[in-house]
Amino acid sequence: MKFKDSVIIDEPLNGLSTFVIPTQVQDVVTISGSMLGGMLFSDNNKIPSLTSSMLDKGTRNNSKHEISNQLESIGAEISFVSSNRHINFTAHCLKSNIDIVVRLIAEQLKEPTFPEDELLTLKKRMIANLEVSKDDTKKQALINFLREIYPKGHYNRRSTIEDSINNIRSVQTNDLIHFYEQAYGLGTLKIAAAGDISNDLFSALIKTHFDGWGEQAVQQLDGCTSLNERKPSRLNKKINDKTSSDIYIGQTLDLSESSEAYLGLMMGVYILGGNFSARLMQTVRDEQGLTYGIGSTIAGCAYDTKGHWHTWGTFSPNLVDKGITSTVEEIDKWYRNGITKKELDAKKATLSGLFKVSLDTTGGIIDKVLTNAEKGRDISYLDNYTKLLNGLAKEDINHAIKKFIDPGTFTISISGSDA
Amino acid sequence: MNKQYEHIKSSGGIDEYRLKSNDLKVLMLQDTSTPVATFMVTYHVGSRNEAIGYTGSTHLLEHLMFKGSRNYNKEKGTAIWDELQSIGAQINATTWNDRTNYFEVVPSEHVEKAISIEADRMRFSFLRDEDRQPEMTVVRNEYERGENSPFDVLDKNIWATAYQAHPYHHSTIGWRSDIENVSTERLKDFYDVYYWPNNATATIIGDFEKDATLSLIAKYFGEHEKSSHEIPEVYTEEPVQEGPRRVVVKRSGQSGITAVAHKTPPGLDNDTYAIQVLGKILCDGKSSRLYKKIVDTGLATSLFMYDFPFKDNGLFITYAFLTPETDNQTVEDIIISEYNDIVKNGVDEKEILRAVAQIRATVAFSRDGSYAVASALNEAIAIGDWEFYTTFLDKISLVTVNDIKRVACKYLIEDQSTIGWFIPKNTDK
Repeated sequence: MKFKDSVIIDEPLNGLSTFVIPTQVQDVVTISGSMLGGMLFSDNNKIPSLTSSMLDKGTRNNSKHEISNQLESIGAEISFVSSNRHINFTAHCLKSNIDIVVRLIAEQLKEPTFPEDELLTLKKRMIANLEVSKDDTKKQALINFLREIYPKGHYNRRSTIEDSINNIRSVQTNDLIHFYEQAYGLGTLKIAAAGDISNDLFSALIKTHFDGWGEQAVQQLDGCTSLNERKPSRLNKKINDKTSSDIYIGQTLDLSESSEAYLGLMMGVYILGGNFSARLMQTVRDEQGLTYGIGSTIAGCAYDTKGHWHTWGTFSPNLVDKGITSTVEEIDKWYRNGITKKELDAKKATLSGLFKVSLDTTGGIIDKVLTNAEKGRDISYLDNYTKLLNGLAKEDINHAIKKFIDPGTFTISISGSDA
Repeated sequence: MNKQYEHIKSSGGIDEYRLKSNDLKVLMLQDTSTPVATFMVTYHVGSRNEAIGYTGSTHLLEHLMFKGSRNYNKEKGTAIWDELQSIGAQINATTWNDRTNYFEVVPSEHVEKAISIEADRMRFSFLRDEDRQPEMTVVRNEYERGENSPFDVLDKNIWATAYQAHPYHHSTIGWRSDIENVSTERLKDFYDVYYWPNNATATIIGDFEKDATLSLIAKYFGEHEKSSHEIPEVYTEEPVQEGPRRVVVKRSGQSGITAVAHKTPPGLDNDTYAIQVLGKILCDGKSSRLYKKIVDTGLATSLFMYDFPFKDNGLFITYAFLTPETDNQTVEDIIISEYNDIVKNGVDEKEILRAVAQIRATVAFSRDGSYAVASALNEAIAIGDWEFYTTFLDKISLVTVNDIKRVACKYLIEDQSTIGWFIPKNTDK
């Protein structure tokens, strides 16, 4: 698939771009969209999140039950969520119902009513979910890890569960209305559709249903580059009655996705822990039998923001110390000796093949196209992606590992009954 | 037509063939939407074929099947994961009650590699004790991760309470002590009983050339003979349940879970279709009956139900994940009351139309991508008839208001029920 030839890019309305990818799949259409207005756009990050979660709770024309009845009677689904920067929505429907679904997406975005009683119920459910996450070893280990490595105010830092609950409790309907008036509207809206769909039809539907919507008053935020001084630390979060512990090991990185060295470091980290045949799974799991799952990745580096690298794994309580020792030894070997050409060649083939395989579904295609557009990249970037990967040199990757990874400064966060 | 095969039947675009030399069943569905294909081998062996002492063996064996075989192993530099991941394949295997499946989603030009690896490990897997020992602790950690989840623990307890004689009593991961102590010899015996071409179905979905692929399957799988023994049947039947059962799990936690389960017929029973529609009416979507009464009112954060069709009898289970102030009994009463309302008054035509539309869309979505098709087909193969997948929608469309009332009266009865509660110890109510 050549993206430049397959993706039809249009701007049916000012401030609204569409990306249509007709495929050979029969009858099915997947739609995804996003616009700025995510959790970073309010001092209380639960206001954007509650605002998007309230979109399906009623509009000027339809109650929430009328909306769900219309969707469920045609077997369609629409969901709205907030990520750090974006309000995102996704829908699946049959080709014959595309008109109804686009109309309901537009209606929920343009005319929500934020009923008071619905907000109360939603807050109660969100708080309950947060309470449950207090017992989630993975979430607790991650929250502690991110709070340790990032300074206050950094986009990638997480709130404590208690702070999140208090933030939800404090939100009132007027907060949502005020935020909605600022953040929602045409401006940065991007909508992609893939499957059994033509651009003419989709573009016409978008024009019909989104015409007349006002402008949003938000702009892209600058990147976040301030980081804590790195220093080694070990954090323990005890949670009773857990038979497996979660471990995060990592550090912040002095680079973002736009840095020249990013792709090389990403490849280096993939060789360490990107898939089953990567080093960590081959040694800590396959040879030593210490874990069911362990992996390594770079995160939080998009939009000129300096992010972090981490390794995550699970261990039986009596194997936590042995597991950490073995993992750190493997990371240390990777740092000291670097990667080999053989590994690099294998992973180039892996990532190129995975890129192809990920286009097997409409959701996979849309994800690539929309994320690329959100980052302001030309569609040709996707066509050049495997070329960029194949151009990576072993020496550059090993240089990036040495430059950005600092084994003396790892934060280790453990959560479980033994912590 | 390749003479090594007999064409058995076709349905819904899928063709079934039998490899004459060893009775391997082959299913093929071409779809050239993207240059990708999924190759999958489904063995008709799952945790229903296990017994006390070796529960979890099917799953542990599945793990060992990645440790090396005659042509694909670390010693030769051709380890299975390396060979497949180096071409960008998505690979894995899963085990469940009635089946074990191994699959590769590959760029089309690499289909031969997937076929070659699956054929090799069908009969030439190493299954060495030195591999079992570290893999046992891997699987034990998988078990431990599951035990971290209150839902997983409650679900296991419900099945263990509802089914006492039938092997659905134990979960696919098995009991911890069996995972730790089962011998390599026992696993090898298991392999030699069940891993044969005449107990397997090879499926290929997506972009491939049909004649060439049939030839490749014959080339690689054709070297195996069919088993010299009959594949053993499971003959244990669950005795009739003679009253309601309850199970309570208490652990540290923040919120409770209430579950209501009722026994259902084997997946290929004709009542399955009405039961599937009934499940949608009760629990699927924001306009479903129980969502309005339990989630909309803030009694639970979410709820879902499952009624997977299995080879033998199953369970129709509704789960409600409670908000902190909600007690288990309140939600249990609402669920039972809603069931009783359907038993007494039935449902209306509109509810059925909505449920059928949801199922119709789900089936269409399940054809988005070769792996999605293979995955859905895999479950139909497991219950004993792959046409369950291709004819499912037609049969669902025939379900009537009377069918719903009939199956509700027949299956949603107190004496066939198992109620499960998870009670968080911190806020023991």
